[in-house]
Amino acid sequence: MSAFLAVMKKELNSVLRDRTMVIAIIIQLFIASFSSALLLGLLALYDPDTVMQYSGSSVHVGLVSPAGDPLQSYLSARGIPTTRFSSLDSAERAYYNGRLNAILMVPQTAGGLVDIQLYLADSDFAPIIRTVLQTPLKQYENYLRAQRGVVVRYTGLQGKPATAFEFIYSVLLPILMFFPAFVAGSMVIDSLTEEVENNTLQTLLSAPLSINGIVNAKICAAVLLALVQCSAWLGLLWLNRISVQNSAWVLGLGILVAGITATGAALVAVLFRDRERAQFVYSLALLAAVAITTLLGLSPVQTLSRLAIGDYYTTGWNVALVAAFLAVLWLSLSSLAHRLAT
Amino acid sequence: MHQILTIAWREITRLRSRFGGASPLAVILMLAVLGLAAFALRNGAALGNGLYRVGVSGDVPTIADSRFAVVKVDPSQGQALLDQHAIDVFVDGSQVYSRTDQKSQYALTALMQTLEKQELLRVGSSYTYNLAFPLRVGINYLSSTPAAPGVAATPAAPVQTIIPSLTPPPAPFAQVIIALLYILPITFTSIFFTSSFMDEKINRRLVILLSAPVTPFQIILGKMLPYVLFALATTALIALLTHAPVLLALAIYAPTTLFIFAIYLMVPLFYRSFKDTTFIAMLVTTLTTAYLVFPAMFTNISEFAYLSPLTLAVKMVRAEPFSWRQYLLPSLPMAAIFGLAMFAGTRMLNEEFLMGYRPLTRKLTDAIYLMLKRARPVVSVTLMSLGMIPVVYLVQLVFLAIATNLSVGAMLGSTLVAAAFVEEIAKSLGIAVLADHGLVHSTGQLLLLAFLSALGFLVGEKLLLLVSINGVSQASISSVLFSTGGFLLVPLIAHFIFTSVVLLLHTKARFRYILALAIGTLLHALYNWYLVGGLR
Repeated sequence: MSAFLAVMKKELNSVLRDRTMVIAIIIQLFIASFSSALLLGLLALYDPDTVMQYSGSSVHVGLVSPAGDPLQSYLSARGIPTTRFSSLDSAERAYYNGRLNAILMVPQTAGGLVDIQLYLADSDFAPIIRTVLQTPLKQYENYLRAQRGVVVRYTGLQGKPATAFEFIYSVLLPILMFFPAFVAGSMVIDSLTEEVENNTLQTLLSAPLSINGIVNAKICAAVLLALVQCSAWLGLLWLNRISVQNSAWVLGLGILVAGITATGAALVAVLFRDRERAQFVYSLALLAAVAITTLLGLSPVQTLSRLAIGDYYTTGWNVALVAAFLAVLWLSLSSLAHRLAT
Repeated sequence: MHQILTIAWREITRLRSRFGGASPLAVILMLAVLGLAAFALRNGAALGNGLYRVGVSGDVPTIADSRFAVVKVDPSQGQALLDQHAIDVFVDGSQVYSRTDQKSQYALTALMQTLEKQELLRVGSSYTYNLAFPLRVGINYLSSTPAAPGVAATPAAPVQTIIPSLTPPPAPFAQVIIALLYILPITFTSIFFTSSFMDEKINRRLVILLSAPVTPFQIILGKMLPYVLFALATTALIALLTHAPVLLALAIYAPTTLFIFAIYLMVPLFYRSFKDTTFIAMLVTTLTTAYLVFPAMFTNISEFAYLSPLTLAVKMVRAEPFSWRQYLLPSLPMAAIFGLAMFAGTRMLNEEFLMGYRPLTRKLTDAIYLMLKRARPVVSVTLMSLGMIPVVYLVQLVFLAIATNLSVGAMLGSTLVAAAFVEEIAKSLGIAVLADHGLVHSTGQLLLLAFLSALGFLVGEKLLLLVSINGVSQASISSVLFSTGGFLLVPLIAHFIFTSVVLLLHTKARFRYILALAIGTLLHALYNWYLVGGLR
């Protein structure tokens, strides 16, 4: 046992000494900070309303429209302040006095096509204004359809903007929980193949430790690092008031996946014995595993997202399935590990 | 040319022996896995995959949205399941039920988006076009100043006419994913290249090769050639499979491919152990992916998007045109960085540099010394600060991406300081290295070099602006980064002063380089701040 711990300690020491772990943590910090930058961008694209509230600015629209036209009420309902003008000229005067961001001109028509004109400045802000106006314009389009006897269902639905929620639980959290696993696998391959290529494995074997013991110690060290990283991320998410349901299972899944990548990586290292081929096959196998689990509907990414949002049908049993797979993988490694020493 | 091909052939042979007789098999396997992954993730890569559960009963359009798991429920049970939180929304015919909690409200938004699409399809197919889509919105841009009285102020015809319900959201999330699909095999191949280079460096074959009658340039190019060709071939293949124009795809991705290879060439030159290479390669992949993806997310939102070549690809996927300048803006810096990396690589490829055990900072200064020493300092320093511009430009962009997390004030402040810091390094590091090696002695010579370095930097900066001035007319941030304010003379003098301060403090007053750099950065940042209007 003490020999096992010694190998583990050696692994952890080498990682900490080489500052490689620091790089891995920098990568994750970068991903996290970068994701929130991306999130801000996504919010601006999908939910301009949120950004409007967030930044405190709003789009003031001048409206030139016939009496009784419902467009104004659609705009007001979305929190867009409007001012009515009798002519385009007077609206333009207000625009150039800086009181308006855009002008909408609705013509007087009865039936047929309705041609609205939108006037705005050609600036960086123009796409945001257009996105903000999109929903009221769509509502107006539905109103016109109804006038013409075309029935559109499900038009009155309105929930809360979901982009941030979807991004955090389906992209950010899986990245943070599974990146340590990816690192763990690469680490095991480098560590094992380096021992083989530098001929240090034979020396190590002269210690009172079997080849299985050495391989397992390396896997354990890698998984331990993943555990530390995953826990740190969960802690940071908690500090940022991002609630993660079933956090114990989420952490457990993160560690099990790290166990799978580390064991799988060791298996690949045992079979190929040199880094170049092993890393290649490992990356391919990882990609294939992601694809296959997605196709089978067993994707750990989805399981993780669902656990974190407290999905009714996703429980510890889904995690147990992953654990079972790890057990199978580990057993096959145990029976093959001796090949590394020959 | 003949030598390059010989080395390229040798590289292929090496790969073949490495992978036994399995090399065609390995290629097929790789393509198969990539294809499988693309197939599996084509829908699954959407935002919010599998987050919601919806119960349906009665006549409801098919919900083909990967965000939803759809359960058929009995109308009588729907409400109970909803209350149990087993489903998030319940659709009974044309009636939709939800709860008041957050999750159900999010699901409702998502459901609205997908049902809206379905309804449009139904309406579009069961009515005449003009009845189903009765609204047209003309987009007109107003001039920035009011027209003189008596002149028609409004443009005669709208620049664009849209149908609101058929206008896709400007967010190019899905297209960015497709564009990123091309990058995947390129990165994959370049990791192979790194591996091979690293391997030959460690078993000293590279050193033996250096004693053969071939130049370092031929060695690098020859070793890189098979991988680059393979990467370009996969690009063409993906374009073929996704029905995109092959030549256009190649034109867009070629500079990116070269850029990625340039960076992966540097990794084995600087690092020694496998673990280092793996982790640095990961870092590099993350940074380049971020650099490529982040601006592209703003396609059609801001001209700033054209800083990334993926934007061009997104445009290609959306079948929208882009101009020559918009093509050159991301491509030119990438190609320039490749050129710089090739040059640096040829100078660094010698036995002493490859095999020496030294800390990274020391290796970096050694590399710069090797790049500069052969030409006269006057020429090499000017060229170096000119050549560093694209690197500075990319680094600043990455800073900017990270800084967007901060509050607006802090973001501006940190961007100004970071921009100044990177620029000062680019201008002064080369001269400092030459001075440390005793190639520059007198104060006069130092000042002359500082002036030339500032000049080279400014010329490069203006060249970049010339390319981008129309491409990024509105991106005010880029004008902060590349300080356009004032006459040309003012920035030249300012750049000259900051660089001189750093150099004099370092070589004459014997300050540590990092300290001298910090002082120069501070001055530069204050100057930048003044330009943005901070002191007025």
